[in-house]
Amino acid sequence: MLELRLVQGSLLKKVLESIKDLVNDANFDCSATGFSLQAMDSSHVALVALLLRSEGFEHYRCDRNLSMGINLGNMAKMLKCAGNDDIITIKADDGSDTVTFMFESPTQDKISDFEMKLMDIDSEHLGIPEAEYHAIVRMPSSEFARICKDLSSIGDTVLISVTKEGVKFSTRGDIGTANVVCRQNTTVDKPEDATIIEMNEPVSLTFALRYLNSFTKATPLSNMVTISLSSELPVVVEYKIAEMGYIRFYLAPKIEEDDEDTKP
Amino acid sequence: MGIKGLTKLLADNAPKAMKEQKFESYFGRKIAIDASMSIYQFLIVVGRTGTEMLTNEAGEVTSHLQGMFTRTIRLLEAGIKPVYVFDGKPPDLKKQELAKRYSKRADATDDLSDALEVGNKEDIEKFSKRTVKVTKQHNDDCKKLLSLMGVPVIEAPSEAEAQCAALCKADHVYAVASEDMDSLTFGAPRFLRHLMDPSSKKIPVMEFEVSKVLEELNLTMDQFIDLCILSGCDYCDSIRGIGGQTALKLIRQHGSIEHILENINKERYQIPEDWPYQEARRLFKEPSVHSTDEQLELKWTAPDEEGLISFLVNENGFNSDRITKAIEKIKAAKNKSSQGRLESFFKPVVGTSVPVKRKETKCILGSAKPVIKLKAYSMESSFQFRPKVIASMGLPTLDLGSRQSMLFSGSFCFGT
Repeated sequence: MLELRLVQGSLLKKVLESIKDLVNDANFDCSATGFSLQAMDSSHVALVALLLRSEGFEHYRCDRNLSMGINLGNMAKMLKCAGNDDIITIKADDGSDTVTFMFESPTQDKISDFEMKLMDIDSEHLGIPEAEYHAIVRMPSSEFARICKDLSSIGDTVLISVTKEGVKFSTRGDIGTANVVCRQNTTVDKPEDATIIEMNEPVSLTFALRYLNSFTKATPLSNMVTISLSSELPVVVEYKIAEMGYIRFYLAPKIEEDDEDTKP
Repeated sequence: MGIKGLTKLLADNAPKAMKEQKFESYFGRKIAIDASMSIYQFLIVVGRTGTEMLTNEAGEVTSHLQGMFTRTIRLLEAGIKPVYVFDGKPPDLKKQELAKRYSKRADATDDLSDALEVGNKEDIEKFSKRTVKVTKQHNDDCKKLLSLMGVPVIEAPSEAEAQCAALCKADHVYAVASEDMDSLTFGAPRFLRHLMDPSSKKIPVMEFEVSKVLEELNLTMDQFIDLCILSGCDYCDSIRGIGGQTALKLIRQHGSIEHILENINKERYQIPEDWPYQEARRLFKEPSVHSTDEQLELKWTAPDEEGLISFLVNENGFNSDRITKAIEKIKAAKNKSSQGRLESFFKPVVGTSVPVKRKETKCILGSAKPVIKLKAYSMESSFQFRPKVIASMGLPTLDLGSRQSMLFSGSFCFGT
C-alpha cells in the first residue's frame, strides 16, 4: 500500500514537464525515505536523478519498497489535468498493476481520479559516487537557461570553463562564435540573483547544448541552479525542489578525439 | 544462408536476449560489418530496373559503389566507426552449399533467358536478381573506395562472419552488424541486425547479446553451436524432421549431438549418411581468423578527397557535385564521434542500492506483459464529483478494455 499526499501538486507537474522529453520510461522507486527516480536517456549520455523526501509530503505512507514502471509522457498527460493549486495524491495498492493520481481542488469541491497502467521496465541503475568537484557555480536558473538557448542558435556544443575570472560559456558554429562570461556577483538585493563561484582548480569541458537545453526545462522548479564540474566527471546540473528534494541532471562530456584510446 | 529459423526461435524462447535500439544511439561505437554480404545486397537492390543496373561509361556495374558510398556515409554521419570485413577462401565444408547456390544461379540464368523471350517483366526482375554474383572486381572496387574514404578494411582468411566475431570477442569493436545469424554461432558477444536498413524503412536496430541468449536458453556455448547445426547451417545438412524447436528440446534433453544420436529414434529421423557435424562444429568453434594485433590494426583517417573524386567521378561517372557534398559530410562527421557515455564514468550497480525486494515488488506492481503491448495503453479515468450521487456508483465500466471504451464513446458520438 502506497499513499503519498503532496499539497503543492504543481511541483510534481513541473518535475514531469522537465524530464519527460529526456526519458521515455522510468521506474519510480518509493521507500520510507522518499519518492525517487533514476533514469538515462536512450543514448546513455544524460541521466536524471530525482528525490522527493518523505518529509515534504503532507502524508507519506509506504509499507514496503515499491518500484513503479511508468511511461513519463503518459504520466505528464495525466498530471496536466491537475490544476496548479490542486493537491495531488499518488496511490497504489499491493498486487495491482496500476497507479492512481487523485487531484483535489483547494476548495475541495472537485476531486478527480486518474488511474494509469504500470509497465515492466528493465533499467540499469548506475552507482553515482559522491565526488569533490573542481568547480561549483551557483547562478540564477533563468540566466543559465537563457545562455544555453542563445548559444544553441550559434553552435551545437558549449565549452564551459571556470577560472578565477568567472565562468565562461563559449560556442562556435558556421555563422561565427559566441562567448558569455558570468562574473562572481554576491552584492545583489535578492539572494536568488547572486552568482557564486567556488573553484578549487580551473576546469573546462565541452557539452552538447541539446541536452543542456533539455535540462533547463526544470527552470520553473527553482530560482537557482548549481553546476558542478570536474575534469574527469560528467557535469551535474542541479535544481533544488522547495526544501523537499532535488532534481539532478548528469551529462557526459564530449571527449577529445584520440583514436587509440577510445573504447570500442 | 545463416541458421534456419534462429531469429524466430530466439524470439520465442529468449526474448530478453533481443533489444530494440535506436540507430542514433550507436554513435562513437566501432562496428564490424560483413562486406561481402553488403555488396551482394547492393548489387541486387541499388539502381535496378529489370536487368538494367547502374553502370559507368564503360558499361561496368557501379551499383555496389553507390550503395557502399551512401551507406558508409550514413554510418559515419551517425558517429559510427565501421570496419568492413571481406570474405577470404571459403572453408571446404561450405563448397557443397556454394555448389548448390551456383546451380541455383545457373537455373536462374536459364529462367531469365526464358523470361526475356516471353517478356514477363516481373519474372525478368525476379530471375535477374537471382543471377547476381559478387566478383573479385566488385570486392576490389569496394576496398579501394573504403580506403579512400578513410574506413579500415580487413581481409579475413576465411569466413568474414567469423572474423567479425573474433574482432568483437577481442574487444576491437563494440558489435558485429550483419543480417546473417551465423554471427551468434561464431560467438560474437554483441550482434546487430537491421543496422544498415535504409532510414526510410524506420526499422529499429535489433541488438542480440550472446551471453543473454545462452542464459535465457539455459545452454552452454557448445550446446548452442550444436543447436544451430541441428537447425540447419551453411556447412552441413540437417536431420530431416528436426527444426529449431525440436532441436532445442533435444539439446536440452540430451546435451549434445552425440547423445542425441545415441538416443534418437533412427527410424523416424533419417540421419544423413555423410554428416560432418563435428567438422561444422569445429568451424564454428575454431574458425580460421586473424588474431594478432598488427593484422587487426584499425585506423579511421581523413578521406582522400582527390582520390575519391578521381575514382568516383572520373572513372565511374558519378555526379561531381554530389560527391563533393558527400565528402563534406564525411569531414563534418569526424567531429561527431566524441560524445562520451555515462557508463564510462558511473558503473551499473546490481542489487546494491535497490535491494532484492525490487524483484518482489515488481511482481506485485509491474505487469508481466511485454512492453510492446503497453504501447496500446489506455487511459482509464473517472471523474468523481463528490457532491453528486453518480460518483458513489463505483462504475463497473472502469474495467472496460480500452478498445471497448473507445468503441463506446465512438458510437456515442454518432448517436448525438
